[in-house]
Formats: sequence, structure tokens, C-alpha cells
Amino acid sequence: MLFFSFFKTLVGQEVTVELKNDISIRGTLKSVDQFLNIKLENISVVEEIKYPHLSAVKSVFIRGSTVRFVHLPATQVDTALLQDATRREAAQAGGKAKLG
Amino acid sequence: MSFFGFNDRGHRQDAPGFSQPRDAFAGIPSRGLADEAEVLDFEETYDGLGDQLEESGDAFNDDTFGEERLTQQSIGKDFDFSGQTGGVSRAIEEERMRFAAQKAPARLAPKPASPPRKATKPAKTGYEGFIPQLQADANLWGIGPKRAPERAGPSGYQAAAFSSHATPSPAQPSAAAPPPARKILSVEEVEAFMRAESQQSAPPPVPVHQTPSYPQHMPEQHHFMPHQPPQQPPQQPPQQTPQQPPQQPPQQHPGFAFPSLQQHGHRQPQIHAQPTPPPQPTVFSHPPQILQRPHPPPGSQQPPAAARQPELPSQGFPPQPQHPQILQRPRPSSQVEQSAQRHTPAPQPRQILQNPNRLSGHGQSGPPVPQPYQRMPEGPRIPTGPAHQRGPSYQGPIITNPQQILQLSDEDRLAFMEEDSKRAKRNHKIYLLSKDNGLMTPQDKNFITRIQLQQLVTATGTVESNDMESVLNEDFYYQVYSQIRGAPRHDPHQPANQFAQTYLFQTGGRFAGRRNARGVDNHMQRMEQQVQRAVEAARAKPKNKQLVIEGSLGKISFSNAKTPKPLLNIRRNDSNSHPHHPVRRPSRVHDAAAERRVVLRNIETLYNSVMEMEDHERQMPPPLTDTSDSATVQQHLEWREKMQILNQRIWADLKVLEPFIQNSPTLHPFVAILSHPKGKKVMPRVFRHIDEQQRVTTLTMIVAHLDSLDVIAYALHDASAPAPLAVREEIELFAQAVMPCLFRSVNEAPLNIIAGVLGLVTERTTVSAIVCTKIGVSILTMLVSRAELLKPTPSADSAAHAEWEQWTETFNRLFDAAEPALPFVFPGTVLNADDVHVWQFLAAMGAASNPEQQQRLVMGVKNRVMETVRMGRTLPADMAAVRLGHVNLFMHAIGLDVDLLVG
Repeated sequence: MLFFSFFKTLVGQEVTVELKNDISIRGTLKSVDQFLNIKLENISVVEEIKYPHLSAVKSVFIRGSTVRFVHLPATQVDTALLQDATRREAAQAGGKAKLG
Repeated sequence: MSFFGFNDRGHRQDAPGFSQPRDAFAGIPSRGLADEAEVLDFEETYDGLGDQLEESGDAFNDDTFGEERLTQQSIGKDFDFSGQTGGVSRAIEEERMRFAAQKAPARLAPKPASPPRKATKPAKTGYEGFIPQLQADANLWGIGPKRAPERAGPSGYQAAAFSSHATPSPAQPSAAAPPPARKILSVEEVEAFMRAESQQSAPPPVPVHQTPSYPQHMPEQHHFMPHQPPQQPPQQPPQQTPQQPPQQPPQQHPGFAFPSLQQHGHRQPQIHAQPTPPPQPTVFSHPPQILQRPHPPPGSQQPPAAARQPELPSQGFPPQPQHPQILQRPRPSSQVEQSAQRHTPAPQPRQILQNPNRLSGHGQSGPPVPQPYQRMPEGPRIPTGPAHQRGPSYQGPIITNPQQILQLSDEDRLAFMEEDSKRAKRNHKIYLLSKDNGLMTPQDKNFITRIQLQQLVTATGTVESNDMESVLNEDFYYQVYSQIRGAPRHDPHQPANQFAQTYLFQTGGRFAGRRNARGVDNHMQRMEQQVQRAVEAARAKPKNKQLVIEGSLGKISFSNAKTPKPLLNIRRNDSNSHPHHPVRRPSRVHDAAAERRVVLRNIETLYNSVMEMEDHERQMPPPLTDTSDSATVQQHLEWREKMQILNQRIWADLKVLEPFIQNSPTLHPFVAILSHPKGKKVMPRVFRHIDEQQRVTTLTMIVAHLDSLDVIAYALHDASAPAPLAVREEIELFAQAVMPCLFRSVNEAPLNIIAGVLGLVTERTTVSAIVCTKIGVSILTMLVSRAELLKPTPSADSAAHAEWEQWTETFNRLFDAAEPALPFVFPGTVLNADDVHVWQFLAAMGAASNPEQQQRLVMGVKNRVMETVRMGRTLPADMAAVRLGHVNLFMHAIGLDVDLLVG
């Protein structure tokens, strides 16, 4: 849930989603779900010339499994907090593993 | 020819439709072939409808076709255009040119194409209403009123039409031949062929000849139509009504008319007896309908009219006027007359005549169409509308494709047809799907929605412990982040509920917008309640992830998005092995990597402890008051106890008190922690949770190991080479993260501690090296300035003075140690402005120094002061002011001012 939790904080921010098919889409993160499906609005394709078929698209829903990278606005990431969150997650996972 | 072909084809293709649902699209693919190469064998194509023909109904055919003078002889001459139309050849030529200008080549091709079209259109409409199309065909062929009754509905019409059509064809097999030929043969060939045949049997040739001629006339139609459409009907009907009936058949229904004529030739006398209303009307009605068919709208109306009023075939009705017109054309028995007619009123009749051609040739659309619209604007359209949607009439398509279709090239027409078929397919699909429309009531839908919501809530909701803590665990980053950054979320502790709520409200809003409020409210309430209950149940549900159903042989494992079903389940032996590794290894062999891992692990442990402490802090029970009950007090006690335990853990994890091994190759664990950025960052958080004593101890520890701190050990700068970036970042981080903590501790420390710490510096570290680093200088500045603030007043007791004495002694030692390094304390060159901390240090030293020490201080840094002042003159005023201000920090401390030097 860490990434879900993390991406939720980026809602409303401008992100660039790089897909596994090499298309990069920049847009405002509208929502994200637990599968990290992403909804973008006001999108623009980074290489518009190369993918003209997307030039008319205004908003997209991206299946999480097709995402390679998400480029984030650095200022919107609280790295210390993220580290802590990661530690928690790890601790939880560790705890679960032990329990299991 | 076209008529023949048209009839045959239409007959053949449509025939199955009467009894069975037909594949609407069957005709499309074959069309192309048919156009080009298919040769129709009448015997093959004839479906025997003709056998069903009611022979008795033909009795009055002669009324329509059978004028004696018009019989075979007159007809026979008609087709020979080369001979008969020689007089009007010029006019014909003109027409031809005009038509060619529009799209001459399409002329011939369209005709063959028309039959397929017919098929297609029926197909289209066929899904919605197959019969209507047939009806349209019937119109074409002029269904007799008689036959309509035989078969209920439009299909009856068509059937009748076909039967009538069929009847002749059997009678004259030869007639059948031409239709196939038409597709392949050129006009000339056809004509020749027809002529040859005409010798054998006069009737068939006639149609053939006419067919070619039609196209030629068509141009005229186009031209005339716009001008005179309304007028035509009135003008011509009166004149020609009588004459035309006989002639019509040959022209328009070459196939029909002739056969009928031949068959009923002996009946011709009967034809004259028009008075017998029923039979005659049939005959009459047919021709007009056929003629009108080109004008789809009128045609559609006419057939019913004919059926209703068989008795008034040619006189009263608009269709009939057309009928006469058509007749006119054959009338040309005298060619001269014909030509005359064409130029004047004739064109209109031709139009009508041509319309049939077009119909036959192109199927439905035709220039004539416009006329019908004008004449009977409403009538035609009404049928068309339904025709298109329901497919009641053949005309629907006609209207849809106005004149253009005729003028379209073959490719275009093909494309059009395909498009049509596509549309038909889509409609068909929609139709199939629409069967299930309305199966679910709104209640059903609501029910489904509730189930989905419930699953959603249980899935996202709470599979494990549902206390706030777990929520925080699951969604830590978001929760804390939004708290920190002021996200809209107000209650971070109940996100699941909030999600559900939000979702419900949104959904409710959506529904409410659409439907009437009451029912919706009810549903929404129930849904909300259900969700609430679901949440409760999920919370109450035991955590077991497996379900053993009684009587089943296995377990059912639950999984959801958060806790997928584990495929691998590895039990770890409780961390026995882990702690040992790090401890043992370094002791045996010094391994840098292992060392580093140990340190990092220590840091992580520290972090975990700190976070646990922070969590625990959040769970602080309500503050104690006098009225607190024992339970609360108990809680508090437990809480504090836990707090204490955690504190000890942190302290242990901090490893400040680890024994310090002199000359050990490894750093002291605490120093090692501080050497990592993570370790530096955790310090502020650690300092919040340790008590005063522990802080001082930590401070002492840091100071005692100043030499080995990375921020000092690696930061020893020389003027030429500033510290590498990584080191500078470390220094920056240390200054931001650790220094404030130390500063706070120092500011709370009494003088004796300061003196003690400073003593450590002088004893344990290399002061001359430390003063050359930013952090070292900062720490010394911190200590010295703090001591200065604590300088006892003269009135203070002796103990304080004793302490001060001790401090002064320590400071002197420090000064002595630092003095040699004074010329080198400045980082970089004069140009490097990053020397504030040095000036601050000098100022602190200067303030704490006695006059003699100040003298030595000035001597040590004199060069730098002078350089800075000198450079200040070359700098812009503001920058110079800043630099000189820095210098003044020091100068003021020793009672001087830069202005003295500048001056």
C-alpha cells in the first residue's frame, strides 16, 4: 500500500507517466487506485510528433501494469517521510512474514 | 434490357424473402460479380412464381397494354431506335452529351447494379421490416389491386408483382435471355441482339432497345425536372391518358408488357373495355406504379391508391398523370411527334419513362425522385421515413440516396452499398441487443450496486486489525503527508470509513440527480446502512485468512488486494542469526562493506525505535487530572513505563555509550551512525525523545570524537582545493540536522559542563585541525559564546567564580592550541564569501579573550582582514557592506571597527 499511499499525495500534481510501450504522457494526476491504475487529465504526449493519435486525447486511464516510470515533481515528495513509510512497510512485512 | 434484368434479378433474389427471413447482406458480395460477368439463365433464376400467377387476373391486361394498334407491330417498331429515332437523333445526341457530362459511363453500369441494390436495401430494412421493401418493389412493378388482397400486407403486393412479372417470362423464355445479356453486352450489341430476336419474337427486342435509349433521355429528365416537376402531371395526363396505356408497357415493362401483350393479344379487344373497373385498374395501376417507381414517393402512394380505387386508374390521381406521360413516349409512333414532344412537353414524359429506367438500372434513386417530392412533398417522404427505419417501403433508400446515387461512379456506389450494409448490420446488432433492454429494474441495479459497494468496502476496508494504528500503517505516507502539508483530510484516523462515506455520497449524488429523489433516498439509505454493516462485520471478522468449510477437504484462503494469497510461505527463525552476523564479523576481520552494513543496520534499528517511540507518543492517554479515575491513571502509568522502555531502547540503539576502543580501526558506533546522512537526519528526532542527561552525554560524545567525525575528518580544507561536493553536502546536512540539537543542548548546559566539554576538545582532539573546518569552528563558537553568556557577575558566589576560573583556564588552552592555525582558519581565498562562521568564531574568541589574546588574535588573522577590506573596495557597495560586516563581527568583538582600517 506504500505506493498507493504515496501516489495519493500526488493527486492534483503534474506527473509524467512513462509507459512500457515508451509513450510518455504528461498530465495532472487525477486519481490512483490500489492497482496503481492512473487517471490523468489534461494530458500531453511528450513526443507528440511520434504519437499523433494521442494528440486529441484529453484524459486517460492507464492500467497500472503498463506503467514503467512515473516522473514526480521532486518538491512534492517528502523523502524523510517516505523513508519512514518505507520502514513501516518493511517492518509490517517483516512482522507478517514472522507471523506467517 | 434493364427491365428484364431488373425483374429477373429482383424476382430471383427477393423470392425467398416471402417465405423465409432472408440474409439481408447476401446480395452485397455477389453484386460485383453480377454486374460484370454473371449471366443469368432464366430457367435457373426463375422461381416458379409465375405458376402462381392468377391467370384470370390478366383478363384486363389488354386494357392497359392491349390497344390493337399498339400491339406487336407498333411496339416492334419502337425499339428500333436507329431507324425510328433517326429524326430525333440530334436531340438524342444532345441529351447524351449532357448526360455524359454528368456521368455518362455510370449510366449503363448502374442499371445492372440496380438489382443488387434492390437486394441490399431490402436487406437493410429487412431487419426492421422486410416486407415494406418488397412492397416498394411491388410498386415498381405495379401491383394489381387484385393481388393485394390475396396476400396480406405489402408482401402480397410484391408477390403479385412478381407473379405478374413471372407470368410473362415463362411464356417467353426468349425474354429471359436479354436480361443476362444486358450486363455483358454493350448497347449496340444488345440492340443488335434484340433486333435479331425481334424477328423471332417481336416483344423481347423492344425492351432491349428501349433500355439503351433511356439513358439518353435521362439527361433531359434532370434538366427538366427542376423546372417543371409540378406542372408535368397536370399537363400531360389529360392529353395522353387514353393513348398511353397501350404504349406504356413496352417502354417501361418491356418484359412485362410484351409478354402480357403477347399472351393476351387475343384479348386486346377486352382492353378497350376499360369500364370493368377491377381488372382494368390492375392493369393500369401496374404501369403507373412502375412508371412512378422511379419517383419513389408517388409510387409508394399510388399503389395504395390504386388498390383502393382501381376504378379510377388513369384519371383522377396524380400517379396516373405520370402514367400517361410515360405512355406518350412509346406513342412516338410518329417519330416527328416524339421529337417535338421531347423538346416541349415531351421531356417530362421522358423523365417519367426514364425514371423507370433508372429504377431498373440504378434501383431506387433517380433524378425523378425530386419530382415526386415536389409534386407530393409529404406523401413520398412519409413512406420514405418509415421505409428507412422500418423498411416498410423500398423507397426509403431511394430517398436516402437522392439523385446522386445515379450519378455516382461504380466504386462510389459500391462504397455506398457497403456503408448501407454496415449500417444495417449495426442496426441489426442494436436490435439484437435491444432485446435485453429493460430487463433490470432500477431496483435490480441498486441491488447490484450495493453488492459491489459491500465488496469494495470489505476489500479496501479492514481485513486486519482495524484500529487507527493499522490504518496508519497501511496509509502512513498519505496520512502523515496530508497532515503535514494540510491536505483536505481532517480525520486521518478513519480513512476507510471516509472512503466509504465519500463514495456513498458521491454515488448518492449521482443517482439523485437522475432519478426521482424519494426512491433513490430509500435505496441510498439502505445502501449506506448495508455498507456500514459490512464494515462492522469486516471489523468483527476474525483475522483468520483461511476458511475451513465443514465437510470440505481443503481450506479456502482469502486474499484481497492488500494481502494477496501467499504462494510462498517461509517461516523465519526468529532473528537469531541476524544480530550475530554483524557483531561477529567485524571482530574477526575488518571488512569495510560489512562494517558499513552493520552501521546501516544500526541506523535502521535506531529509526525503528524512534518511530515506535513516536507512535507510542501519539497514543498518549488523556492527560491526568485530579478527577481521573484509576483506570486512566493506570493507563498513564503503563504508557510512561512503555515510554521509558522505548527510551532505553533508543538510547541503546544510539550506541553513545558503547565502549570506545582506542586506536580501533573502526569508528565508534555512534560516530559511525553520524557519518551517514540517515544517521545525521535521525538526530533531531532522537533528541526529542532523550532526556537532558542523555543529550549532554551525546554532546560530549560528539565533541570527544570531533576528530573522527566525517564532517571534520574529510572537511579539512586547504585554500587551493575546496572539499568535494559529497563532503560539503554532509557538512551542510550536519549543520542543519545535528548542530541545532547540539546548540540547544549547549544553550541549556551550565558553565561547568561547557568547560568540561571544551576541556574534552582540547584534550582529545587536534584543535588546530578542528578550527580549520566549518563544523569544528561552529562547535567551538557555540561553546565559547555560551560560556561568555554564563560569565558570572562579580556578585556571584565563589563557586561560580571558581567555575569561571576553570573555564578561563580551559579557554586559554584552547586559544593556545588554535593560535597557530589562525592564519589558515579561513576556507578558500578572500574571494570565497563563505567565511561567516569563521568571523563568528573569531568574534567569539575575541570576546572571550583577554587583551593580550586579542592582540595575538589580530595578528593571526590580520592578513585576511586586510585582504577582505581591500577587496571590499573593489566590490559593489552592497556586497562590500556584507563582507565588511562580517569582518566587523570580529572587529567589534575586540573593540575595533573596519572603518578604522578603511579610513
